[in-house]
Amino acid sequence: VLDDPDLKDIDPTVLKHCHAAAATCILEAGKHQADISAISTCLEDCKLDKERIEQFCTEYQKNKDALEILLGSIGRSPVHITDVSWRLEYQIKNNQLHKTYQPSYLVTLNVEKSDSGSHPDVSFSCTMEQLQDLVGKLKDAAKSLERATQM
Amino acid sequence: KLNIDVDTAQHGVEGLTYLLIESSKLMISENDFQDSIHALGFSDELNKSLLQLYLDNRKEIRGILGELSPRLPSYHSLEWRLDVQLASRSLRQQIKPAVTMKLYLNQNEGQTAQVLQTDPATLLHLIQQLEQALGQMKTNHCRRIVRHMK
Repeated sequence: VLDDPDLKDIDPTVLKHCHAAAATCILEAGKHQADISAISTCLEDCKLDKERIEQFCTEYQKNKDALEILLGSIGRSPVHITDVSWRLEYQIKNNQLHKTYQPSYLVTLNVEKSDSGSHPDVSFSCTMEQLQDLVGKLKDAAKSLERATQM
Repeated sequence: KLNIDVDTAQHGVEGLTYLLIESSKLMISENDFQDSIHALGFSDELNKSLLQLYLDNRKEIRGILGELSPRLPSYHSLEWRLDVQLASRSLRQQIKPAVTMKLYLNQNEGQTAQVLQTDPATLLHLIQQLEQALGQMKTNHCRRIVRHMK
């Protein structure tokens, strides 16, 4: 805002005040998911003229969804899984034990990188039975989700 | 009680241990075992006892040896929970479903528990990917390799 050539004639302090006021208004409206009439009423109370109110509301409406998504993503939550990669190998021998002949999976749960320090991906090995157990439990969770959405 | 000195007894035990571990590790056949110990010049009765000792304990010894190989953290179990986020400090009136999980892994003689979360779409994606992984062992390619390795 301070670098905008159209605004260079205005006192920077005033600009900052305006920017902060506008931002606060938008964020509060977004936080409470206020509808247009509520915003208009609020701006009327602030003695803004009709044209300005209309302009503000149109712009707000255009960006409302993006704003909601942004606000919804702020906050603490456990490490978020975004993807999974897996590797299947067949073990033949190691230096302690020969002729092992066993399939083994290596699973990596890819994790969302957040700004507050990224957590490493979670990797683990498992046998076929263990992977079946894991998939079974995930399917239980998915079934419960489906039932919950039907309520 | 055996009327032999400590050193001899110790050597005896060490020798026996070495014999059993190496035989189990290589999973040698009965015939190979018998041929190997024949060279030691023991009585037939002793050779039979040694063979029986080998066959009786082979599985357990292999189980223990298996624990010694290099390992990554391995899967132990998973607990899950369905959550719906209704509001946060930044946004009121939400309906945000999530699956929260606690993944238990065995790592270096201990167990770790890690709390993870995912959304419904990713959950379905995870299930699809891992089911594909499970299906791999049944493919012709993998079956052929398993057959040839034995």
